[in-house]
Amino acid sequence: MNKLVMNFLVTEGYVEVAEKFRMESGTQPDIDLATITDRMAVKKAVQCGNVEDAIEKVNDLNPEILDTNPQIFFHLQQQRLIELIRNGKVEEALEFAQEELAPRGEENQSFLEELERTVSLLAFEDVSNCPVGELLDMSQRLKTASEVNAAILTSQSHEKDPKLPSLLKMLIWAQNQLDEKAAYPRINDLLNATLEDPAV
Amino acid sequence: MPSATVNNHRPRELLSLLASADPEIKVRALREVKNQIIGNRTKKLSFLKIGAVPAVSGILADSVDNVIDSNCNNDNINNILVQSAAALGSFACGFDAGVHAVVDAGAFPNLFRLLGSSNEKVVDAGARALRMIYQSKLAPKYDFLQQKNMEFLISLLNSNNENVNGLGASIITHSCETSLEQKALFDAGILRKLNGLLEGGSLSQRDASLESLATIFKNNPEIISKFSGPEIGRPLSSVIDLAKDRYPRTRLLACMCLIVIRNTSPLFLQDIGIKTKLIHILLELLDDSGQVGDEAPFAFSSLIAQKEDLQELALEANAIDKLLHHLQKGSLHPRRYEGILLALADMCSKMESCRSKFLSLQVLNLVTDALTDDSADVRTAACICLKSVTRSIKNLSAGYFMDEVIVIPLVRLFLDPSTSVQVAALGAVSNIVVDFTTRKSIFVQCGGMKQLVQLAKSMESAVRSNALWALKNFVFLSDNRLKESVFSELTACLLASLICDPEPSVQEQALALVRNLIDGCINSIEFAFAEDGLILAAIGRQLQSASKAEIGIQGMYALCNVASGNEFHKEAVMHQLFPLMDDKNQSFMMKFLQSNDSQLRAATVWAILNLTCPLSPGASGRLEKLRNAGIFSQMKNMVNDPCVDVKLRVRTVLGQSMAFGNN
Repeated sequence: MNKLVMNFLVTEGYVEVAEKFRMESGTQPDIDLATITDRMAVKKAVQCGNVEDAIEKVNDLNPEILDTNPQIFFHLQQQRLIELIRNGKVEEALEFAQEELAPRGEENQSFLEELERTVSLLAFEDVSNCPVGELLDMSQRLKTASEVNAAILTSQSHEKDPKLPSLLKMLIWAQNQLDEKAAYPRINDLLNATLEDPAV
Repeated sequence: MPSATVNNHRPRELLSLLASADPEIKVRALREVKNQIIGNRTKKLSFLKIGAVPAVSGILADSVDNVIDSNCNNDNINNILVQSAAALGSFACGFDAGVHAVVDAGAFPNLFRLLGSSNEKVVDAGARALRMIYQSKLAPKYDFLQQKNMEFLISLLNSNNENVNGLGASIITHSCETSLEQKALFDAGILRKLNGLLEGGSLSQRDASLESLATIFKNNPEIISKFSGPEIGRPLSSVIDLAKDRYPRTRLLACMCLIVIRNTSPLFLQDIGIKTKLIHILLELLDDSGQVGDEAPFAFSSLIAQKEDLQELALEANAIDKLLHHLQKGSLHPRRYEGILLALADMCSKMESCRSKFLSLQVLNLVTDALTDDSADVRTAACICLKSVTRSIKNLSAGYFMDEVIVIPLVRLFLDPSTSVQVAALGAVSNIVVDFTTRKSIFVQCGGMKQLVQLAKSMESAVRSNALWALKNFVFLSDNRLKESVFSELTACLLASLICDPEPSVQEQALALVRNLIDGCINSIEFAFAEDGLILAAIGRQLQSASKAEIGIQGMYALCNVASGNEFHKEAVMHQLFPLMDDKNQSFMMKFLQSNDSQLRAATVWAILNLTCPLSPGASGRLEKLRNAGIFSQMKNMVNDPCVDVKLRVRTVLGQSMAFGNN
């Protein structure tokens, strides 16, 4: 159980908590906590909209990641454009779109649609209320941040998803299957995880 | 706020900053170059053009001597090494022009020297850069046969650093080519090490190991049986397990390794269970939206190509439906598009059941659409797919393929800038024009026939021979009017010169074309006599010096067809068979009758049969000549020829000769 918790903390990047947990429970993390710090710095940079900084940090960590993952690189560049638009830097945004994003679209046709959506932000006066307004949401930053996080984990040969959520899903599914076949002690409250005897 | 100043330098500015004497400025400039080019092919090209690679390479060369000095903990030096190696690695990443520049600039040996550093980051940077270079065909060849090099490779595989042993595996994967090298690697115990990485390694180590193993196994049954033997545990089962791994790339690489083993060594992996498993795993990998899904159809092709039992199993697993389903998605990556089309081509290459299934889904338009794709590889693949599908005689006879939607785009491809597209289009057309309903007008109307004649004059021999093949099929069993139009477009002169073409494959097709032209009614024989018997003479000449059996076969059948005519025709053939007045000279006929090739023997006997047909007035004279040349004694030895066709014709000829009294 402790290993599962540690795995969750490490994958999601809660360094300090993981460190504390290690001290208290004696559970060893399966990757070096120092690398988590680097990875978290990248994630945080994206979440704060400091995309350039994030790119530099990823490249310091492992230059192969962005060189071999065109999709992630495109999404980071896209995020840069979104941040420029958000800050009202229209001219800089246009220049950036032309110089940096357009070539990505040329190199890879599948990016063209998303590129067009993003550039269309520039056409609207009231960006927060336009059809592609969701690009300006925090959720977009989080999506990109999570993508980069996963790529870094994979490059470190670590699984990108923590085991705990999958296990919970499996528990719920298994119980649903069993419900049709037998009466058995069931976990109804996931927070407490107490086994409740079946009604007589 | 991000430091907006960092990424604002133009390439030329950075180049001059690189030349700065101040190490801090140098490092910052290197880092910025690296950050500008990573992921950005366009920038790589611009930096390349202004000579950035030699500049960075020079910086590496200047600093690399400090690597060996283990007391050197100078951060600046290490930073310079890391950043310059990373930049060079990025130039080489997926970019052949970059690899070329890096190797040309002499950086290669220096990158290797970085592996000896005590600083982990320096080692990582060097190993990564080298791995990028080894992904490319332009990487320098690694000489495994030198003891020193093998020891170095072993040290790489023994390293604790993942990037370093990944480099070792990468070198094997991309540089090992000959069976001698494979053996050397085996003898040095490399397989054991790779197996260790397979079982106990991380994700990237397992993947790298799978690729290397496949490279060492390829076409080497001896090594495979040693690997699968009892001494090394049960490594084959570890590979089989990895085919069910959670990671798609691992599954794909494991399948590819198993397929190499299957194709190389008939002793292994032959049971139906593993065959079915491989098919299912590969079909499921098609669903992957990334590079794994792009490569999966190629692996599928390598599994089923030329193997009817596997095509049968794949058919049952609904492979054709699944492949077509993916084709329907549209906006496919060119590599994936090509792969799926080739996989369909392989599925339909031999079995009518597969072709029927394909055609029953009524989605031929998915393939014809690909004929106009931007990528030459996709266009070629589409043609190859059509060639397979049009082997369906049932549908050919029904005239199903002689349709504008199919024929017109194919004929347009005759003018394609790429030779491989032209050849592939010719292949597909060759099948389509065998239209038994003789509704060939569409093909003529869109200028297809004239195009074929033009292509028969191409500089590329593959194009010439395939164009002739298509013409040969086109005139097969067709009416005289059509033959006349082909012949007048082609001209006797051109046809005669093609019969004597420098390329044997062209000679063969030209002779086969003549055979089909002459076949049919007696008027068709006149083609051979056009322009003073130019063609007949060419046939005779070519048969004298036939370099392979196929040429002899087509030539003899052509003569055989001429000999089915009247006296004049038969005598003309005799003149070709015995050009010199001196009968004692051994005719090529003797050589053909004694050939190992049963088809050649049969063709020759058929010709003799026509020449000695008793109904003709001059038959006895010809018989005499043949007898004097020893032909008849030879044929008496062939009354029990192993080939039934030959045996029966020989007996007919000998029976015919009885009609003339002497035996």
